Amino acid sequence: MRGPLGLRPLAGLRSARGATAALGVFAAALMVGTAATVGVSLSTGFDRAAERADLPDLVVRFHERTRGDVDRRIAALPNLEARSYRLEVNDVPIRARGQSRRRTAVEVVGRGRRGYAVVSGTDLRGPGEVLMERGLARAWEARVGDRVRVGRLGALRLAGIVVAPDDVAYPLISRPRVWISNTGLGLPPGDRAPVNSALVWVRDRSRLDATLVQARAVGFGLRDLRYATRNGLRVLVDRAAGIVIALLVAFSLVAAGAACLMLGASARADVESRLTEIGVMRASGFSRRGLASGFAVRAALAAAGPAGLGLCLGALIAHSPAGRLLDVLSELPPSPRTLAGLLLVPFTGMVGLVAITAGWPAWRAASRPPAELLRGGDLAPRPRRVPWSGTAAGLGVRIATARPVRWLATVTVLASALAVLILMLGLSSFLSGLQDDPGSLGRRYQLTASLPAERAPEVARIPGVEAAQARYEDEGFDSFELGEPVKLIAFRGDHTEFESAPLKSGRRIRGRAEAEVGLGLADALGLRVGSRLAVQLSAGREARFRVVGIVRAIDNDGRVAYVHPARLLLADPGIASTVAVRLAAGADRDAVERRLEELGARPRSAAGIAGGNGRFLGILAGLLRLVAGVNALVCFYALLQALGVVARERRSTLAVLRAGGASRRMLGVVLAGASAAAAVPALLVALAVERYLLGPLVARLAAGYASLPLRPGAAQLALVASVVGLLCAAAAALTARAIARRVVAADLRER
Amino acid sequence: MTAPGARPLCLLLVAAAAIAVVLAVRGTDAAPNTRSAPSSSTLAATWTDEDGNGVLERGPGERMVARTDLAPRSAPERTLALLAQITDAHMRDEESPARPTVLDRLGGPFSSTFRPQEALTPQTLAQAAAAVRRLRPDAVLETGDLVDNAQENEMRTALSVLRGGRIDPDSGAPGYEGPQSSSNPDPLFYRPAVDAPRHPGLLALAERAFRSPGLAAPWYPVLGNHDALVAGEVPRTPALERLAVGSRAPVRLPEHSGELPRRGIGPRVVDAELKRTLAGRTRRVAPDPGRRLLSPGEAIRRLRAASGHGAGGERLDYGFDVGKHLRVLVLDLVDRRGGSDGVVTGSEVAWLRRALARAGQRYVMVVSHQPLQSSENGELALRVLDRDPRVVAVLAGHTHRNQIRARRRSGPGYWLINTSSLADYPQQTRAIRLVQTRGGVLLETWMVDTASGEAADTARNLAYLDAQGGRPQGFAGRRIDRNALLYR
Repeated sequence: MRGPLGLRPLAGLRSARGATAALGVFAAALMVGTAATVGVSLSTGFDRAAERADLPDLVVRFHERTRGDVDRRIAALPNLEARSYRLEVNDVPIRARGQSRRRTAVEVVGRGRRGYAVVSGTDLRGPGEVLMERGLARAWEARVGDRVRVGRLGALRLAGIVVAPDDVAYPLISRPRVWISNTGLGLPPGDRAPVNSALVWVRDRSRLDATLVQARAVGFGLRDLRYATRNGLRVLVDRAAGIVIALLVAFSLVAAGAACLMLGASARADVESRLTEIGVMRASGFSRRGLASGFAVRAALAAAGPAGLGLCLGALIAHSPAGRLLDVLSELPPSPRTLAGLLLVPFTGMVGLVAITAGWPAWRAASRPPAELLRGGDLAPRPRRVPWSGTAAGLGVRIATARPVRWLATVTVLASALAVLILMLGLSSFLSGLQDDPGSLGRRYQLTASLPAERAPEVARIPGVEAAQARYEDEGFDSFELGEPVKLIAFRGDHTEFESAPLKSGRRIRGRAEAEVGLGLADALGLRVGSRLAVQLSAGREARFRVVGIVRAIDNDGRVAYVHPARLLLADPGIASTVAVRLAAGADRDAVERRLEELGARPRSAAGIAGGNGRFLGILAGLLRLVAGVNALVCFYALLQALGVVARERRSTLAVLRAGGASRRMLGVVLAGASAAAAVPALLVALAVERYLLGPLVARLAAGYASLPLRPGAAQLALVASVVGLLCAAAAALTARAIARRVVAADLRER
Repeated sequence: MTAPGARPLCLLLVAAAAIAVVLAVRGTDAAPNTRSAPSSSTLAATWTDEDGNGVLERGPGERMVARTDLAPRSAPERTLALLAQITDAHMRDEESPARPTVLDRLGGPFSSTFRPQEALTPQTLAQAAAAVRRLRPDAVLETGDLVDNAQENEMRTALSVLRGGRIDPDSGAPGYEGPQSSSNPDPLFYRPAVDAPRHPGLLALAERAFRSPGLAAPWYPVLGNHDALVAGEVPRTPALERLAVGSRAPVRLPEHSGELPRRGIGPRVVDAELKRTLAGRTRRVAPDPGRRLLSPGEAIRRLRAASGHGAGGERLDYGFDVGKHLRVLVLDLVDRRGGSDGVVTGSEVAWLRRALARAGQRYVMVVSHQPLQSSENGELALRVLDRDPRVVAVLAGHTHRNQIRARRRSGPGYWLINTSSLADYPQQTRAIRLVQTRGGVLLETWMVDTASGEAADTARNLAYLDAQGGRPQGFAGRRIDRNALLYR
């Protein structure tokens, strides 16, 4: 008599069926490992870096003043724990390792807390030393101990490499930063030292808002005053990757869900294929509980290895691109120990899920009388008419759909995997749009020209230009909370002709004191139609608007407001404007650009959300492709397993065919038909699921404030169909090969 | 033979006695020797921010610190008088167009013209009166700046609060109409409905009528610069009077960054600045004739009439007895020409000499709004006091800061006591008990928190947060400036 089922996991693995199941668990674990690593790294990167860098709770930037003057105001703030000051000097030439850069920011730091994390080397210990941000150090391949020439200070020793999460890193920012000590620079000492930023740490972060209100009250007289809270910094830093990170995290959740679904279906199919075996064991006196627990334990033990391996490999694969992404965001990756701890959760979950999904059907199956189990172990349902049933492929379709429940389970698993695959393509095309296509941001103009507002009519008269209008833009912070960055956009005339984010509620602006706000901003500030929006503009003045509409804008994480330029200019007449240019259909863009240059303008493309950060989007695209590749493996596994089950159940039918002279190719066609019977409806279901469920779900998870067009194009759909066809063919060929190796007589005897 | 259990009891008693002796010898902390401390007394409990997060919480009380700068400790024998000091309430009509809040950003002399808690000054004064009432003092010294802007409606409301009864703090149109409205775009001002800490409905509460318990004790007024001068600095001018009762309030300064002169702002400077300011952005307010400006003479008349004290004459210089053993002399140091600093006139020095001579064997306290030691010719007055051994203390307000210093030039010396304001943190009043000791006299003094109430508690918390207020400027003083046993 065979021993208990739970004690022979390796024996199960050695069989073809066991190997397929292990491959499935491995593929799912790979996907979960990848998604978990990316998701955890990105969603917690800022907090980790902020904690290690001792990031201040509030950064105040202003036009240069003496330290004493500023400290008098800062020291008066409530809830204050510590403060320190810096002088930022821009555009100091820096040279190291044979590379140089003129557009830089040199941070002159004094005593006190620093707000950055030294990830290599040591902190500044005095004059003659310099620290470099990690992004620049990577790009220049600079190492601790190198000589770095900093302007007129000459060559300084690179004492350390730092991560400063108060801003993104080079190359995402155009001004990479280095830090030097204020000693030995000849600056006035003590309270007379010039400073232009203050770092503030508070005792109770939850009461920072009250501190901010007081900071605002004592800030009068400081020019170009800007506040950035820790939360605001998070928003600013996240904005660089913004929606893309949110999409990845959202995708990770969906992928994990899909993997669980597949594992469950696979385990159930496995139990169903062994009903005869269960019947025999029940007849031999095995208890129901013993049978179920045996299935569960064996499945768990068999899944543990592939799950662990898949998770680790997924983490390893994702670690490098996720790390590069964190680098440019000035964030830190989780430690290997943290990651291992985090992966234990999906590991336990997956093994547990496999155990439950294997044990539960076995428990239910074992409740039936042994005779019924034995009788129904290989019962063929009533034959039905199917199209092309006379052909080999038709036969494949017929045997695949003979067990409707199992066929439905296969279609469901495949559809889930394919829906995710289609979603990935939608994401990638969306990312490309963000990079290149202003339309993805709801912009309906293609060019901007650096010309005064009054010259817009002149531009509009250029052949090929459909419309041109003055566009004003200013970055500010909401006055009431002083933490949320707000982008104000104003057009002379109807702004929807140039930027038309979909209206969620309310109406478009009509009056001068009205504003349409992005849903992201509305959510952050609790705004609704009828609320008042107060924005402290970049020049320090305040402008107020009544909210009349809420729009689903993607730009700036939805933290935008469309307003009338009159109110904006009243508050700050110095706000710069450009001319937005909408080209006519079929217009020669180059010719228009030449005419604009003749007018003295510098035409620029109305860039997408990431502007010129192509490298950054490249990393993200790579990450998405990686996850998509893993997902394709999952699809292949699902097909392979479905065909394996069909081949096992229909071994006698297939043996009869082989006995009748059917070649391996003929078997392949039959199995291709069987796989198509599952793949074609799965593809249709996947399209519907992606369009009506998954796409909107991911879009809402990632950016509830916007309408993300996550639909793949026709070419991409054709690509998906081709990939599915190829996978079907490959799965059929492999399964046919395995069947051809079996002895026909043995299969016939089993009948 | 001793009974069983008596030995441990004896040991306990001996230990208690030993602790008491050690405490007496060390002379650092001690409890008041007479009536138990009332609930608002900071001896029992007070408001502290132990974790430094900007939120006041009820904490342990502060024991009295014995100060022997002028005389050694001596056993108390009997209480001669119990006084309470209320100072710098700055009761204000925060909706008034005549308040120079927009000048706050220029720095001195108009610093702290705006306070986050300013709409709650009537309620704060009422709760201070409630706390003082529980003390049952023999006399209450109101040491000046009862009102903020020398307006008739401010004075009327403040006097009503001290008297007790129904108070209607609103002015102009019904409801709040001032710089703290949530519609005000100026980031300088704290707007309770939208700024943190958010207090929606606070301004409505501030304007709502309420009942004041009143002092229920004889009170004696001292003239402060804010009682007699506009914003405590400027004599009224026709232009200022028109502004006060008018319908236009300046909201933004004209584009200039020049600083105002620190002293001697004459009518011409005032009118010129006012003209410039009104040329800038203004907002409409509902005019209120009750906002008319009081002259110093009118302010004195109102104070005399309400308190029933203050003698006659153009200045509020007078004396009064508290029981049989204490004579209090009040000096009016307000410079009628303008400016916030005190001025002691020659005639006042002469009056002081005469008043001291008439005091007989009674102990003497001298009270003024501005501290004598920082007033013009104040040193002359102090020298007069130096020579009189019956002078035990000189009390003042004005600085909004708690400070107690000993002065000893000749003779036994006396204590210079300055008390913090009700306008700024810590928003406390001071209790002073004159006690006869075996070897001389003792002044027991301790601070008294305002009685708890929604508006007053909120005002205290906002005052604590104020970055231009008493917290960062250390107005609460050191511990020895608050609750102390002052031997002489």
